[in-house]
Amino acid sequence: MMEDVRHSIFSLDALSNYIVLFAFAAVMIIFSVTTANFLSLENIYNVIANKVVLLAIVSLGMTIVIAAGGIDLSVGVSVDMSALVFFSLLAAGFSAPLGVFAGLFAAFTVGAFNAFLINKLRIDAFLATLGVLFIGSSVQRLATNGGTPITLTTQEYAPVFQVISDSQLLGLPTPVWILALCSIAVFLLLHKMVFGRYVAALGAKPGVALYSGVRVPRELSKVFIYCAVLCGIAGILLSSQVKSYIPLSGDAFLLDAIGATFIGTAMTSDRRPTVVGTLMGVCLLAFMRNGLLLVGWNFFWQQVGIGVLIFVVLAFSFGLRKREE
Amino acid sequence: MDTTVSDTKSSIDRRALAAVFVRLGAFAALGIILLYFAIYARGFTSSFNLQNVVEQSVILTILAYGMTVVFIGTGTDVQKGGIDLAVAANAGLSGAVFVTLLNLGWPEPLAVLAAIFTGMAMGFLNGLAVVVFRMIPLLATLAVMNIASGLELTITENNVIGVSSEFLSTLQFGRFLGISALAWVLIVFTIFVAFLMHYSPFGVRLYAVGGFPEAARAAGLNVGRNIYFSYIFSGFCAGFTSILIVSRLSASTLGTGLLLLPVLAAALLGTVFSRRFVPTIGGTLIASLFVGFLANGFQLLGVSSYWVSGVQGALILLVVALTSFAKKSEGA
Repeated sequence: MMEDVRHSIFSLDALSNYIVLFAFAAVMIIFSVTTANFLSLENIYNVIANKVVLLAIVSLGMTIVIAAGGIDLSVGVSVDMSALVFFSLLAAGFSAPLGVFAGLFAAFTVGAFNAFLINKLRIDAFLATLGVLFIGSSVQRLATNGGTPITLTTQEYAPVFQVISDSQLLGLPTPVWILALCSIAVFLLLHKMVFGRYVAALGAKPGVALYSGVRVPRELSKVFIYCAVLCGIAGILLSSQVKSYIPLSGDAFLLDAIGATFIGTAMTSDRRPTVVGTLMGVCLLAFMRNGLLLVGWNFFWQQVGIGVLIFVVLAFSFGLRKREE
Repeated sequence: MDTTVSDTKSSIDRRALAAVFVRLGAFAALGIILLYFAIYARGFTSSFNLQNVVEQSVILTILAYGMTVVFIGTGTDVQKGGIDLAVAANAGLSGAVFVTLLNLGWPEPLAVLAAIFTGMAMGFLNGLAVVVFRMIPLLATLAVMNIASGLELTITENNVIGVSSEFLSTLQFGRFLGISALAWVLIVFTIFVAFLMHYSPFGVRLYAVGGFPEAARAAGLNVGRNIYFSYIFSGFCAGFTSILIVSRLSASTLGTGLLLLPVLAAALLGTVFSRRFVPTIGGTLIASLFVGFLANGFQLLGVSSYWVSGVQGALILLVVALTSFAKKSEGA
C-alpha cells in the first residue's frame, strides 16, 4: 500500500477507484437518453426526497459501524422502535417535540443494548445485532397486537407531519436538510475528529487499537449508539412521510444500507467506508431503481438489474485493483 | 479482539477448567430448556411431535449446512470473512426452476438435476465474485441474492405455483423403518456432509484455508479452489433443499428468502456447540434442532407466537454470551 502513492491516475489500480463514479455517470446518461422524464428536475427532486434521504441516513449509521469493523443487523429495529414510540406518544396526546425526543431515545436504547451485548457479554457484533433483530420483531408484534399499523391521519396531527416531512426551507425539502446535517455530522465524526481515528483503528486491528490505549468498549458503544440514533431519525422521517407506523417496515433498509456502504468502499484506494462513498452508493442504487422503473421494467426485473449492476461494478472495481503481495 | 494475556501457568489451568465448565454450560442450558419443555409442554416428548420437529427443521438444517461449509472454508470474520447471504434466495430460485420444469413436462430426475444445477450455478457466481474479482463476500453474495430473488420473482411472476408428482408425495409422506422420508434425508445428508468435512482430507484442507488463508497458501493449498468449492457446495445445499421445500408444500412458494436470518442464526449458533468454537456440522445440527425445538415448545406451551422470535433471540444471545466467556478465557 505504501509504494503506490505516486502511481499514475491512468493505472488500472487508480482506475478501479473511479468505477463507481463511472457507473453512476453511465446510469445517469443511459436513462436520460432512453427516458423522457429521468433528468427532469421534478424526477430528481422526487428520487432524492423520497428514496435517497431515508436510505442515506440509515446508511450513514451503517458506515460508522462498518468503519469500526462491525456490522449492525438491527438498523431496522432502531428505525421501527423510534417510529413506534413517536407514534404511540402522539396518539396518547403528548406534544410532537416530546414524541420526537422519546423516539430518538428509543433508538438510543437499541444502540445501547447492542453495545451492552457486545462490550459486556462479549458477543460478536454479527450475532448480537441478529439477536436484537429477533427480539425487536417480537417487541413490535406484541406492541401492535401482531402487526397492526398505527395510522394518524386526522387533522389534529397533520401540521406535525407537514413540518417534519412536507415543509421546505430555502427551496429544499426539510428531510434533505436533515440528511445534509447528518452527513456533515458523520463526516466530521469519521474524518475530522479523534473519534474517527479510533474508529479507523478499531476497523483495521482491534487488538492493536486496544494496546495503543484506545478505550475500545467506550468507542464501540459510541459507534453503535450513533448508528442507532441516525436510524431513529430515519424512523421519524419515514413514519411522518407515510403518516403511519408500519411494524417491521425498517427491515427493508438493512440489505440496501449494507450494499450502499460497501459500494462506497470501492471508491477509496484502501477500501474503507467513507461518508462520500456511502452517499454515492445510495444515489447509485436509488437512481438505478428509478431509471429502471421509468424504462418500464417491472419490479422483478428491477431487482435482477440492481443485483447485476452491483455485481458488475464491484467486479470491475475490486478486480482491477492491484493484487496485494 | 483477543485481549487477555495469560501470565502464569496456573491461571491457564484455571481458565481451561472454566472453559470446560462453560462449554458444558451451553449444553446444560440446552438440556435445561428441553427438560423444561418435556415436563411442562404436553406432548412435547411424543414420538410424533419429535419427528414433526425434525421434519420441520430439515430445510433450515440443510441450508445451514451450506452456510456452515462457507464459514469453514472462508472464516467467520464479521466483514472480511465468508458468508453466503444468497443461500436462502438461491433455494427459492431453484425451487421455482424445479416447479416450472416439472409443469413443462420434464421428467423428474432431469428437473431435480436442473434445480440442483441452478443452485450450484448461483454458488459458482458467488465463488467467481469472491475468488476472481476479490469482492467482499458480504457484498458479492448480497448482489447474487438480489439476482436470485429477482429471477425467482420473474419466473414465478410472484405467484405460488402448485405441482404434484409421485416422487414428491413419496418424499412428503413416505416412511421407512418407522421414520419419515424427510428425516431419512436429514440423516443421510448429515452423515454425508459430516464425513466430507470432518473425516476426509478434503475437509481438513477446507478448515486450513478458512482458518488461516496465508498459511494454507504457504503450505501449497489452492485457496481459491477451496473457496470456490465452499460456495458451490452451499449452492448445492440450496438446490437440494429447494426440492424438499417443494415436496413439503406441493408448490414453489415465495418467501423462501426470508429463511436467511434463521439460517444465519443456526450456523452462527452452531459454533457454540463445538469444541473449539469453530463451525462444525454437528454444532450446526444441534443449533438448528435447538431453534426448531424452541419454536415447537413455545407453541405447545401456548405462548403467543408474537413472543417466539423474541425469546429465541434472547436465548440465542444467552447461550452465546455464556460461551463467549469461555472463548475469551481460552484466548482463542
